[in-house]
Amino acid sequence: MIDVKNLSKSFGKHLVLDNISEHISQGEKLVIIGPSGSGKSTFLRCLNLLEEPTSGTITFDGTVITGPKTDINQVRRQMGMVFQHFNLFPNMTIRRNITLAPVQTGLMKQAEADGAATALLRRVGLEEKADAYPAQLSGGQKQRIAIVRALAMKPRLMLFDEPTSALDPEMVGEVLEVMKELANEGMTMVVVTHEMGFAREVGTRLFFMDGGKILEQGAPAEVFSAPRHQRTQDFLSKVL
Amino acid sequence: MLQSLMDLGPRLQRAFIEGDRWKLYLQGLGVTLQLTVVALIFGVLLGLVVAVIRTAHDQQRLGRRKNPLLGVMNILCQLYTTVIRGTPMLVQLFIWTFVILPAERNKVLVGFIGLGVNSGAYVAEIIRGGLMSVDIGQTEAGRSLGLNYFDTMRFIVIPQAFKNILPSLGNEFITLFKDTSLVQAIGGMELLYYAYTIGGRTFDYMPPLLGIALVYLVVVVVFTWLQGKLERRLRESDRR
Repeated sequence: MIDVKNLSKSFGKHLVLDNISEHISQGEKLVIIGPSGSGKSTFLRCLNLLEEPTSGTITFDGTVITGPKTDINQVRRQMGMVFQHFNLFPNMTIRRNITLAPVQTGLMKQAEADGAATALLRRVGLEEKADAYPAQLSGGQKQRIAIVRALAMKPRLMLFDEPTSALDPEMVGEVLEVMKELANEGMTMVVVTHEMGFAREVGTRLFFMDGGKILEQGAPAEVFSAPRHQRTQDFLSKVL
Repeated sequence: MLQSLMDLGPRLQRAFIEGDRWKLYLQGLGVTLQLTVVALIFGVLLGLVVAVIRTAHDQQRLGRRKNPLLGVMNILCQLYTTVIRGTPMLVQLFIWTFVILPAERNKVLVGFIGLGVNSGAYVAEIIRGGLMSVDIGQTEAGRSLGLNYFDTMRFIVIPQAFKNILPSLGNEFITLFKDTSLVQAIGGMELLYYAYTIGGRTFDYMPPLLGIALVYLVVVVVFTWLQGKLERRLRESDRR
């Protein structure tokens, strides 16, 4: 589904991603862990070009999205993204947060989008919040809304950038629950996270990143129980 | 001094009542308010265009080939704000009147143009500051949903920036309101023009000038009060 070839990214002289080549297949639940500054968020943000790679190519279903002629908006409509800080639009109701993109991009008519929004809100148990504003919601509720906002575009792939890192501990569960359901439905997911339990339970593959490289990868259970790399062992011994 | 105070009654009578002169002040105030409002609308539209062009130029994705048209427009916008903010308002009005539009008899119209073009440069900087004050995560969320740059600005960034720039915009309104008095110098018949003329006709400048100073002051105070109310109302949606 996504092919990454020789991807490098530097901010000024600081090399954040160091020549990464990887393939992500349809249906995979790829979990990326690693210490802060390891490049895991940057890697994720390169996949939908929120960060512009310094060199290398990324191909999504045969489209070279790093190409100069690619309509990136068209590509992004098929990739949902969930942010650490939710980034709901505070000037709009929840319903409009969800329907804005599908309507403006011509994917749906307003009435159709409203119906879809209601269905999505019901799915995450927040139907009664449709006319509330983001400031009236808790962090966990905001993040669940952010997830369904991305889903309203009917994406084929979901990117999660530390979706639970800004939440109060008691709200982490409700967000992970939604993500698990999504995984069970077969959505292709790339998740940057510090939630090792989630990584083990949901992930089909795990990357451990450090210093802009994927140091180690494999099935989460294997990496957790028998990390091969010294750096992975150190990291896991601190977080597990 | 004492003598002049004792004459105050008849002097006020001559300046404001005799020959229904108060009607002239009202007429002048009407033109002054018109000048302010039209110039401000003109200034806000012009400023919005300039601000969006400059922000779009500055936010172009690094590493990609820059849009040459945007580059040219950005230089024009920078030239505009530099020249307008770097030269006195009165000099600009004289240039409009005697150099650019010497055949135009309607000096109030010249005033609209001169004040509007001047205001646009200041408003552009106010709006640009407002646009940059909106969290970059809002833009990223909009773009990640597949919205293009201008839809993201229109629905997400600009409405949020508006609330942030309202105090500065109110300030600009007050400045502009007082600067309309400069239009008197090119023969526009606004508030100061009538006061000055009546002062000349009655050989007594003190009552008309102090009178209109009070009028300016009252309008500014009332406007400031209204602005405070509006800001409080807008802030209500931020509360939980």
